[in-house]
Amino acid sequence: MNIGEILTNLWHSSGYYLFGEAQGWKSIIMIIVAFFFLFLGIKKKFEPLLLVGIAFGMLLTNLPAGVSDALFHPDYWTGEAAVANGVDYVYVLQHGGLLDILYIGVKTGVYPCLIFMGVGAMTDFGPMLSRPSSLILGAAAQMGIYLVFILAACMGMPGGQAASVSIIAGADGPTAIFLTKTLAPEILAPIAVAAYSYMALIPLLQPPFMKLLTTKKERMAVMQATRKVSKKEKIIFPILVTTIVCLLLPSVAPLLGSLMFGNLLKECGVTERLSDTAQNALMNIVTLFLGISVGATAVAANFLTLDTLKIVVLGLAGFILATVSGLLIGKLLYVVSKGKINPLIGSAGVSAVPMAARVSNTVGLKYNQGNYLLMHAMGPNVAGVIGSAVAAGFLLAVFG
Amino acid sequence: MNDLILSSVLDKNAALNPLDALLLAVIGIVVVFVVLIVLMLIIWLMGKIFDGSEKLKEKHPELNNKLQNAKAKIMFWKKSQPAKQVAPETQETANGTCGELKLINVEERDAAMIMAIVADNMGAPLNELRFISIKKVEDEK
Repeated sequence: MNIGEILTNLWHSSGYYLFGEAQGWKSIIMIIVAFFFLFLGIKKKFEPLLLVGIAFGMLLTNLPAGVSDALFHPDYWTGEAAVANGVDYVYVLQHGGLLDILYIGVKTGVYPCLIFMGVGAMTDFGPMLSRPSSLILGAAAQMGIYLVFILAACMGMPGGQAASVSIIAGADGPTAIFLTKTLAPEILAPIAVAAYSYMALIPLLQPPFMKLLTTKKERMAVMQATRKVSKKEKIIFPILVTTIVCLLLPSVAPLLGSLMFGNLLKECGVTERLSDTAQNALMNIVTLFLGISVGATAVAANFLTLDTLKIVVLGLAGFILATVSGLLIGKLLYVVSKGKINPLIGSAGVSAVPMAARVSNTVGLKYNQGNYLLMHAMGPNVAGVIGSAVAAGFLLAVFG
Repeated sequence: MNDLILSSVLDKNAALNPLDALLLAVIGIVVVFVVLIVLMLIIWLMGKIFDGSEKLKEKHPELNNKLQNAKAKIMFWKKSQPAKQVAPETQETANGTCGELKLINVEERDAAMIMAIVADNMGAPLNELRFISIKKVEDEK
């Protein structure tokens, strides 16, 4: 028995040795990035429910090949065979690692839809129903998506990638994942990371533009209480939206249908147990699976590319353009309504619920103590969720 | 541009020229606005209908009163159904039956069950049957 040989073999099979192989440095960078995201999620509390999962998935998948092979195989999903013939799910189930199996829910679009069901069960559409003009602001903020789409096309991105990058501007993680897994699965990880990171940074990103584009008088505008919405209206609304919008854009049916089904469970008053499950247990389980499996796709070879840098830059531009579009239409409504609509609620048209509405409220309170804009901003905020789903449905219909 | 005109589904892997992208963006934003404006109009209309019915109730309180009275009667009837009081020795009339029903040493719940079984066996609706009295027969000692 040669102890030296045994120790040498042990060393050669260890992850530390494998870091020294070609491209090993890329894995080290990705692991450092994963540590940084863990720091942001845990210490800075930036979207921790998702960012911690994404970061940990990123850490696991970037351990050297011998270690990460037991967990995730990128070639099963974006390899040449998978691209040419489609994913072989039976093979994945037989030979895949834990994260491969969890990733099936992302690839098939099940997780984003279930998340939307939970979001629907948690959302009160009352503020939007009491002020229908909120929908205009929800639509306005989606202009950011299409402006980035033009920019991405000008930068030479293929149509599917341009559409996937542009949807980051919708500030809607599940929608971004749902669209990207269909149109550009090879860039799913950077898009998911960019979308959730920018959503977490909304309190930092939006206020400078809100101040830049509005006057002090506009920011101080007080909005009056709106009409009380009856229970019947709240029950009819999800049924109507599903019927009307899904007939027009069938490609959006999985997302919008799930969102409205969740909302109907909440509002109909006879399915409290199901609503509770959608809001809590189901939402938590799916968030857990979604975070770690999306993070796993951030393999160094796919992530550390120039395309990722483009996605990060375009995503940031998209968030800013969406905020600016919402604010400008908000200013227009301020003029049309003779000062009855505070333009600050326009920035809440990006669909990060309820973060964007909270930002509008915080900025409004800063200039006029006692001027609570939160409920008024929730209208455009939830309208933005519908708007970004419609925008995604259009892009899927064109490129799907 | 020809791609857009000839086919509604574009190749997701092909690069787009900026003019096509611009055209798609314009169509896309128009679709978003049209869908949300249609929803806005529907919500507005729905609000008008519901507000209108509320105003109608305020304008014609007698209609509202009639509705409330009817609801109250239904509630009273429903509440009276599962009453669990044991009938006293004396003869008493039970609520919610067709005509007068005398219960003698019988709980209302038991009486309801007996009536339901009889109706089922006879194949006739309960409200078309008339029960005069239900009496508990004492066990033989």
